[in-house]
Amino acid sequence: MHLDFTDDQRAILDALDSLAKPFESAPIHDAPLAATSAELNSAIVEGGFLDVAQDPDLGTTTAAIVIERLARLPFAVEAGASAMFRPLLSDPSSQPVCLVDERHLARPVRFLGEGATIIVVGDSVRKFGAEAGVVHSEPEALFAYPMAMLSGVPDDAEKLNIPVGEAKVRWQVAIAAEIAGLLAAALKSTCEHTTDRNQFGRPLATFQALRHRLAEAQVRTNGVYWLAMKAASTLDPADAAMAALHAQESAKNCVYDFHQFLGAMGMTLEHPLHLWTYRLKALIGELGGRGAQAQCVADKLWPAR
Amino acid sequence: MDFKWTDEEQAFRERLLAFLEKTLPDDWERFSQHGPASPELTRYAEEFCGKLADEKLLTPHWAKEIGGEGLDPWHQTILAEVMWIAGEPRGGQYMNVNWIGPTLMKYGSALQQEQYLPEIVEGKALWCQGFSEPGSGSDLASLRTRAELVGEEYVVNGQKIWTSYAGLAGTCFLLCRTSDDRKRGITILLIPMDTPGITVRQIPSLIGEGDIHEVFFDDVRVPASARLGDEGQAWEIIGYSLTNERLGIPRYSLARAALDRAVSILEDAGDFDDPGVRIEAGHAAALCEASRMASYAIVSKRAQGEKIGAEASSARFATIMAERRVAEFVSEYLPEALCDAHPYLKMHHQRGIVAGIAAGAAEIQLNIIASDVLGLPREPR
Repeated sequence: MHLDFTDDQRAILDALDSLAKPFESAPIHDAPLAATSAELNSAIVEGGFLDVAQDPDLGTTTAAIVIERLARLPFAVEAGASAMFRPLLSDPSSQPVCLVDERHLARPVRFLGEGATIIVVGDSVRKFGAEAGVVHSEPEALFAYPMAMLSGVPDDAEKLNIPVGEAKVRWQVAIAAEIAGLLAAALKSTCEHTTDRNQFGRPLATFQALRHRLAEAQVRTNGVYWLAMKAASTLDPADAAMAALHAQESAKNCVYDFHQFLGAMGMTLEHPLHLWTYRLKALIGELGGRGAQAQCVADKLWPAR
Repeated sequence: MDFKWTDEEQAFRERLLAFLEKTLPDDWERFSQHGPASPELTRYAEEFCGKLADEKLLTPHWAKEIGGEGLDPWHQTILAEVMWIAGEPRGGQYMNVNWIGPTLMKYGSALQQEQYLPEIVEGKALWCQGFSEPGSGSDLASLRTRAELVGEEYVVNGQKIWTSYAGLAGTCFLLCRTSDDRKRGITILLIPMDTPGITVRQIPSLIGEGDIHEVFFDDVRVPASARLGDEGQAWEIIGYSLTNERLGIPRYSLARAALDRAVSILEDAGDFDDPGVRIEAGHAAALCEASRMASYAIVSKRAQGEKIGAEASSARFATIMAERRVAEFVSEYLPEALCDAHPYLKMHHQRGIVAGIAAGAAEIQLNIIASDVLGLPREPR
């Protein structure tokens, strides 16, 4: 076992960091709840960062590293589904790639828009390109992703030769890796605020009531990161279910704490915290949420005898 | 990143499991309910560790020149996992191989290494850790047990409390005050427990019989050569020791094994179909694995020769979360295990109470994480 980055992974991360640097500052004030950047998106796609898993030497572990790193940016970038699924698609499907749970078609879909590639995971795995008629944008959604509703799945959606189990594993890994990055960034932002903000004559971060909960958030964030990386490496169904479960559970535990620690600033759009936490809120419910992931863990670890 | 065990590491784990299979008595699971520091388990541990030493499996991660096999920290982790899942048949000797020995190797004099390391390697040593005092638990630096240098001897007076293994230990790794400087006034003495003036009183505990004690020091005289390192160096030395101690007990492995056992019992009884039970089991398993991976991340750094710091506290707190969730699962869904129906689960439950308290309380770990991992400003004192 060797848990450090390989030289190739380190080089990819360095390149990604250089590319992302101009986008590390958050757009605030009158911006919509979700921050997106066509320029950043193009740079990532053209740089090939979403296709790293196609190289067998890099694989899905490197894809998860890329997803985690991009999630730390205040801008929402569709990376999870693309990085985990594009290597499985025979034709070069257009980004964004949107994952849809067939059991919950009425739920909002991240990054859904005309021209998106939609992968529907149900009793089989199907794909189609989103046309204007099936997409209903939700510009007022209380999530920091662009969201839209899907009105239906066309009958002629292409059936993909991807086992449903594998599709769920990749989706769970994408959720876990993205949550790991979002938690890391939200935690960092909260630590900065509580360090700078003085009340009662000293920084908020010197009060143990906050310090301990922030430290617990660090423990959770670290655990989510490592479970995501391991699941990305093994693509084992139990590993993936545990990674997604721990990620969604940790997101649920941390989101309100982070806003709470910002006090009144945690209610405003003048602080960028929501750009991470309101993405976490969307991911908490994805693929059935914590209950479904926990049941999945039980199914995979202790299959019926 | 590579998350696979090598064939050699797998073979090492198999070798340890085969050793346990042939060595542990048939009634081991019931026997292991005796506390890890009980007279019964301590006596058995000496026999067990002797056999482990004969097979060169007691200190495989130590350097060859001091009786080890020179294997890397992954082997130490595998050894610790296998032993903890089995209920730690090494008893208190786990401490020797995890941190007493490595601390002596790094800070001990040639004479101290010659005196103490061979008996650890042979599985004949039992140590106790004289740290906490009635007025100094989490605030360890406030300790008051005093050692005065009189001629060529230290004269020690004071009291330690909640001291594991003290009833049967041969040597005490004692923290005592040699000056009034809060941290730089603390010194370590290695004191034979049969030295005149030492009195030990057992404290009844939830862990099992013989586990924790009060230790009184009344004009205890030891030669100056019993000092480990320099006067006032204790804080630095125990920082090194406790990093090893915090990582040395893979509680996640026993917690996960206990969870697997509990699920198996529930399945046999037809009680594992309930979605509420399955969901709770899933949560407990995820916490065990999160703890395991947080620990592995540190072992990986150590295997690369990197220094380990506050991240050990993060891994330790992850273990506490896992340990508690599994113990709660068993209490809620298999309460008969806390009677006498399932000895293995009872053993896990007895020992789990220690997780957030020993080797630095959970709240101390959180303070360390806040300051040294997150970089938050410290609390005013």
